[in-house]
Amino acid sequence: MNQLLLQQETSKELADFPHIKEFAYKKNTTIQLNSFNVGLMDGIGIYYVLEGKHNWVIGSTEHTLYPGDIAVILPGENFGGKNNILNIGSLMWVRLDVHSRKQLIGDWSQLTKKERHSLEQILSVNKDLLVLNIKEAQPLFFELKHELQHAEVGFSTRVAQLLDHLFIIICRQLIRQNHSRRDFPTTFLRLEQTLRQNLARQWTVEEMAAFAGMGTTAFTEKVKNYSGFSPLNYLINLRITEAIKLLKRGEVNVTDIALAIGFYSSQHFSTTFKKLTGYTPSEFRKNNLTFNQQQ
Amino acid sequence: MNSIVAIELGTNAVRIFAFDLMGNIIGFAKGHYPTFHEGPDNSEQDPEQVFITMLYVLKNLLNDTLYPQKCVVGCICFSGSMHSLLTVDKDGVPLGNVITWADNRGKETAVELKESELGRTIYEATGTPIHPMSSMVKIAWLRNNDPDRFKKTSKYLPVKSYILQQLTGSCIIDYSIASATGLMNIHSLTWDDTALEFAGISAGKLPQLVPVFYSEAKLKKEYQKALRLQPDVKIIIGSSDGCLATLGAGVWEEGKATITIEDSGAFRVIGDKIIKDHNKQIFNYLLTKEHIVSGGPTNSGGVIFEWFTKRFGDFKKAFDIDHSMGNLIREAAEVTVGSDGLLFLPYLLGERAPIWNANAKGCYFGINIRHERKHFIRATIEGILYEMYSIGKTLENHRAIDSLSVNGSFASIPFCTQIIADIFNKPVSTVSHGDTIGAGAFLLSATEMGMYKNLREASNTIKMHQIFLPNANDHAIYRQYFTVFESLIEKIGGEFDAISNLQNLK
Repeated sequence: MNQLLLQQETSKELADFPHIKEFAYKKNTTIQLNSFNVGLMDGIGIYYVLEGKHNWVIGSTEHTLYPGDIAVILPGENFGGKNNILNIGSLMWVRLDVHSRKQLIGDWSQLTKKERHSLEQILSVNKDLLVLNIKEAQPLFFELKHELQHAEVGFSTRVAQLLDHLFIIICRQLIRQNHSRRDFPTTFLRLEQTLRQNLARQWTVEEMAAFAGMGTTAFTEKVKNYSGFSPLNYLINLRITEAIKLLKRGEVNVTDIALAIGFYSSQHFSTTFKKLTGYTPSEFRKNNLTFNQQQ
Repeated sequence: MNSIVAIELGTNAVRIFAFDLMGNIIGFAKGHYPTFHEGPDNSEQDPEQVFITMLYVLKNLLNDTLYPQKCVVGCICFSGSMHSLLTVDKDGVPLGNVITWADNRGKETAVELKESELGRTIYEATGTPIHPMSSMVKIAWLRNNDPDRFKKTSKYLPVKSYILQQLTGSCIIDYSIASATGLMNIHSLTWDDTALEFAGISAGKLPQLVPVFYSEAKLKKEYQKALRLQPDVKIIIGSSDGCLATLGAGVWEEGKATITIEDSGAFRVIGDKIIKDHNKQIFNYLLTKEHIVSGGPTNSGGVIFEWFTKRFGDFKKAFDIDHSMGNLIREAAEVTVGSDGLLFLPYLLGERAPIWNANAKGCYFGINIRHERKHFIRATIEGILYEMYSIGKTLENHRAIDSLSVNGSFASIPFCTQIIADIFNKPVSTVSHGDTIGAGAFLLSATEMGMYKNLREASNTIKMHQIFLPNANDHAIYRQYFTVFESLIEKIGGEFDAISNLQNLK
C-alpha cells in the first residue's frame, strides 16, 4: 500500500477540512537518527500503530506501543520517539487543530455541545492515561484515508463522522479500561488520588463523573452510597483535610493555603473551615501549635 | 429527648449511631475514607481525613436527624479499630499516615520474635499474638527501617487517641485498645517494660492509660459550638471494635461465643480469665480489668467472597456488587453440602489465626470434570467458614462452647448462617439490631451513666432475632471435609512459602 502524507495548505485533499492539520500513513523500513524528534504537540494528535514496536515519549513519560495501540497527544504535550528515532513499522495518524486547550473538538464535529464537552473532559482528566489498545480504530483510519483521497459524494460529512467516531471509541475505551463497573471502590480511590493532586482546580461534578465514566446523576448516587457524601462535599472534605495539614506545618500563610486547596478566597476558606471545626484557620493553627503547653 | 451517640472509627469508614435511652437506633450516618497501599505490604490512612470525615458525619447526623427530633446528646462514646499506629512530633503533628492493622511491613520482625523465648514472654504478658499487626512490632520496624521518623516521634498513638486528642486536648488510650497494641501488660495494666524494650521506646512515648468508662476529657469549646453540643456532654473513651462487638452480641454467658464476619472476621468469647495458649495463637484483649475478650482473627472473611464476586460474578445486568453476590448465593444453594468434593483454602491475604502465616495462599482442591461455577461459589463460602471453624476449635480446647451468635455481613445471609450451624454443629443466633459495635458502645455508655448495674447486665438485654439449628447429617459430612481441610494446611505449609517467594520475585 502506498504511503501518504496529507498536510494543510499543501494537500488539496484537505482543502475542505481546515481543522485537519495532517493525515498520514507511514511505513518505516529503516531506522534513521533524528527522524522523530521530541517536540510540543501543536493541536491534538491521534496516532495508531499498525506494525512494529514503538518507544515514544508522551508528556514526561516513556511508552511502548504495539500493533492495535492508539496514542492521543493533547495540545502542548511533549511527543516524539525515544532517542528521537522512529522505529521500524507502520503507523497512521491524524493531527487536528484545536480552538483552545479546553476545547479539543472543534465546530466541525456533529456531536452535540454537551457530548463534545463530556468527551473533552474525559480526555483532559485522563491525560496521563491516553495510550490505549483499540483494534477497532484501524478500519476507521483506513476509511478516513479512503474518504480523503476519493472525495466521493457526502465525503465531507463522512470525514466528520469518522473523526467523531474515533473520539467516541477512544473515550469509551478509556472509561472501560480505567474503571471496572464491578469495582467502584477502586475507581473512587483513583478519583480521590486525582482530586488530591489537583485540589486547586475548580472541579465540577460533571468533571468528576466524567473521570469515573458515569453520568452525573448515577455518579452522585453512587458516591453518596459509597462514601456517605455528595461529590462536592467529599471534595470539601479533602480540601479541609489538606488545609489542616498545611496549618499544622505552620509555614504557609492562610491566604496561600486557601488558594492552594481550591477556595476562592481566604474568607471563603475561613467561613467553611469555621463552620465545620468552630475555629478560624488562624485560631486552629494557634491552638495546634500550643499542643505541648496543653499537655 | 436524651440520646447517646456512638462513634465507630472503623478500618474503612466512620459510622455514627444515635440511640435513645432505651437503646433504639434513632439516627445513623457514615462516611468513607480510603486506605492507601503504596507497596504490597503497606496499608495506610490519612489521619486528618479520618478526623474531618468524623466531624462531617457527626455534624450531619446532629443537624439532619437529631436536632430536628429535639434530641439532646447526653454522651458520646468512641469505638476504634485495633492495632492502628500513628506517629506524631512534639507539637502533636502527624509524621506520616496512620499504619493500619492490615500493614504487613513488620512480618520479618514478627517471625523472628515469635520463634524466640522473648516472644513467648511478651505474648504472655500482653495477650497480643506476635504478628506485624501489633503496634509493638510496627514500632520496632520503624526503629530499624525509618530511623528519622523514629527519632522525631514524640508519641505513638492509635487513631482513636489521635481523634480524641484533637477533640479534647487529652492524650489518652483505653485499656482495651492498649491491650491490642502488644505493649500493655494485661496483668498489671501498665505499659510492659519487656515489650517497650523490644520496641525501643519508653512509656513516655505512649498515651496515658485509662479505663473504657473514662469520661473526664472535655470537648473543646470550639467543637462544642460548631456542633451545637451542650457544654456538659460526656465524652466516654469507649473500647475497641472487637470488644464492643462482643459486648453488643450478647454472648456474656458461659458457653457462648460470637462470630463476626465483615471484610475480615473473628471468633470471640468473653470471660473473667485470660486463656493461656501455649501455641500463642489466641488473643486476650481487655474489655475491663475483670472481663477479657479472647479469640482469633481471620483475614479470610467477607473480603474473600467479594473477591470471588468481582472476578467471577455476573455484572452484565446487575450494577452493584451486592446484587451480584445475591445471585451467586442463590446459585451456590443448588449444590449439596461439601460442594461435591471441592474444597477451598481461603488464604488470599495470608492468614492470622489459627495458622498465623502471612505467606499462606488460596487453593481450590479436589477439582474434577463435573465441577461447575456453582460448586466453586459454594466451596468459597464453605472454605471461609471452615477457617472460622478451625479458630473455634482452637478456642474450644480451652473453653466449652454450646451456642454461637453471628454478626456482620454473613449474619444477614440465612444460607451462610445455616452452614455455620451445620459446620459447628451448634445452634446459631443472629441479633435483632444491625450493628454489634454500635450496640456495644451504647451498652457501655448506658452502664457508665448508671442505667445498668454492670456490663454483664447490659449485655443480657440483647435480643436474639433468629435461631438456626444444626443438621446432624450435614455436620457429619462437613466433618469429613474439614479433616481434609486441616490436613491440607498442615501438609502444604512449605509450599505456601515457596509460592509466596515466587510471587514476590515478579
